[in-house]
Amino acid sequence: MTQNTEKRTVVDVAERETKTLVETVLSAETVVSVGKGASLTHYRLAEDAENALTVRLDAGASYTLITLALGTGKLRIAADLAGEGAVCRSDVVYAATDDEVLSLQTDFTHNADKTVSRQLVKGAANGRAKASFEGRILIPYDKKEIDGSQQHRALLLSRDCEIAAVPRLEIYADDVKCAHGSAVGSLNAEQLYYMRARGLDESEARRLLTTAFLNEVLDGIRDEALRSDWEAQTAERIGL
Amino acid sequence: MSAWLEIKDLSAKVGEKEILKGLSLSVGKGEIHVLMGPNGSGKSTLSNVLCGDPMYEVTGGSVTFKGKDLLAESIEERACDGIFMAFQRPVEIPGVTMTTFMKYALNARRRAAGLSEMDAVSFIKRLKIRAKAFDISEEMLKRPVNVGFSGGEKKRMENLQMAVLEPDFCILDEMDAGLDVDAVKVAGAGVQIMRGPERTFFVISHNIGFLREQIKPDFVHILVGGRVVANGGTELMDEVEKNGFSRFYKEA
Ligand SMILES: Nc1ncnc2c1ncn2[C@@H]1O[C@H](COP(=O)(O)OP(=O)(O)O)[C@@H](O)[C@H]1O
Ligand SMILES: [Mg+2]
Repeated sequence: MTQNTEKRTVVDVAERETKTLVETVLSAETVVSVGKGASLTHYRLAEDAENALTVRLDAGASYTLITLALGTGKLRIAADLAGEGAVCRSDVVYAATDDEVLSLQTDFTHNADKTVSRQLVKGAANGRAKASFEGRILIPYDKKEIDGSQQHRALLLSRDCEIAAVPRLEIYADDVKCAHGSAVGSLNAEQLYYMRARGLDESEARRLLTTAFLNEVLDGIRDEALRSDWEAQTAERIGL
Repeated sequence: MSAWLEIKDLSAKVGEKEILKGLSLSVGKGEIHVLMGPNGSGKSTLSNVLCGDPMYEVTGGSVTFKGKDLLAESIEERACDGIFMAFQRPVEIPGVTMTTFMKYALNARRRAAGLSEMDAVSFIKRLKIRAKAFDISEEMLKRPVNVGFSGGEKKRMENLQMAVLEPDFCILDEMDAGLDVDAVKVAGAGVQIMRGPERTFFVISHNIGFLREQIKPDFVHILVGGRVVANGGTELMDEVEKNGFSRFYKEA
């Protein structure tokens, strides 16, 4: 089902098929198509990567994407919910430290009735890193029973890092449930105090809180070996 | 020579607000002390200052603990030195299970004491045995720290942490507050199980029945306005029970 070149990776999941795909080396472009009633679970490790992913979901298709973005990179995720009842779930963890610059852009279009999109983006920046998240949800005027949500939560782990979040909701239809939120902040001082009052040193407490925060997304990976490998890589790359 | 724990003229503030205003207290090893006082008199503040909460700024006085200058130590150094506070409002830590948290905490103490880390099997055994004493199920140990626990369950978890970490100076801040009769019994179990000649307790509570029946203190201190205004034995509890704190306000 997969064609792979340096420039372009093409993934087609045929009608009613169920597939799991793990991508660890990304081409510049990834094109995914999930056929009628088909289901794809897609895990992507984007380490210092630049990639544009385009996904098309036919009627009744289900697509679950978990992306781990580490280091300097530029990622774009565009989903076209083209068929009625398509469900797209896209979760992202990003982490950048030192002088890394990471940008993430998502663009979900509900082009059919009864389509559902769910996005949970969690990130952390440390050192002098700059991270940005821009999330667009587009719901055209004539679409019905649309359900979309986008949540972004991120941690600033140093004084000199920056995280910018720009949600862009373009909702032209009436019959819509659409929730979104973004919260960027520091580690919770009360939690840090509590942990240190039990004996953990400050850096250990910070590391534990940060990985717990990010692992909420990675916990969704059903392959246990893959999950613990990616959790370990995240912990290593966060620079704590 | 100073006492095991010697607090002298301690003053502390938060922002511009002075809370502790020259508080002194002398405490020996193996003793159980009760701190009483009206709401806002500074009991929790004293507890947190002893633990090193960065929220409070110490503006004067000294604290000597086991011969060392306590105020010069970091929060974690104090913890590893044996100070433990059961929090009045324990914080929730999503994503970190109590089992993981206790493993980190115990090993931090062991490293500080120059011991090797405890192996996983011995650790789990220790945790489970002590959990039983406080009616804590194995399932609860796998849940994230304090997340979704009732008030009573949180207090039991604080007790469990105390039992696992075996500190030698334990501060219990309103361990019994807001609990029903049965939960109060479990809350008091921590002191009953852990009391001994090597361990000192500060118990903060308004519940005289609880103090009399379960804590059985050696000494009682009354705090008013950020100072200790009376030191004595259980007769001070009797007096508070009868007359409240009115007499002590005059002395403050
Ligand atoms: N973090 C804080 N910020 C502002 N005021 C505080 C803070 N902590 C304590 N206080 C104030 O200090 C006083 C003493 O509080 P506390 O130590 O909690 O008293 P107690 O535990 O004896 O009821 C109160 O007036 C309280 O409002
Ligand atoms: Mg209090």
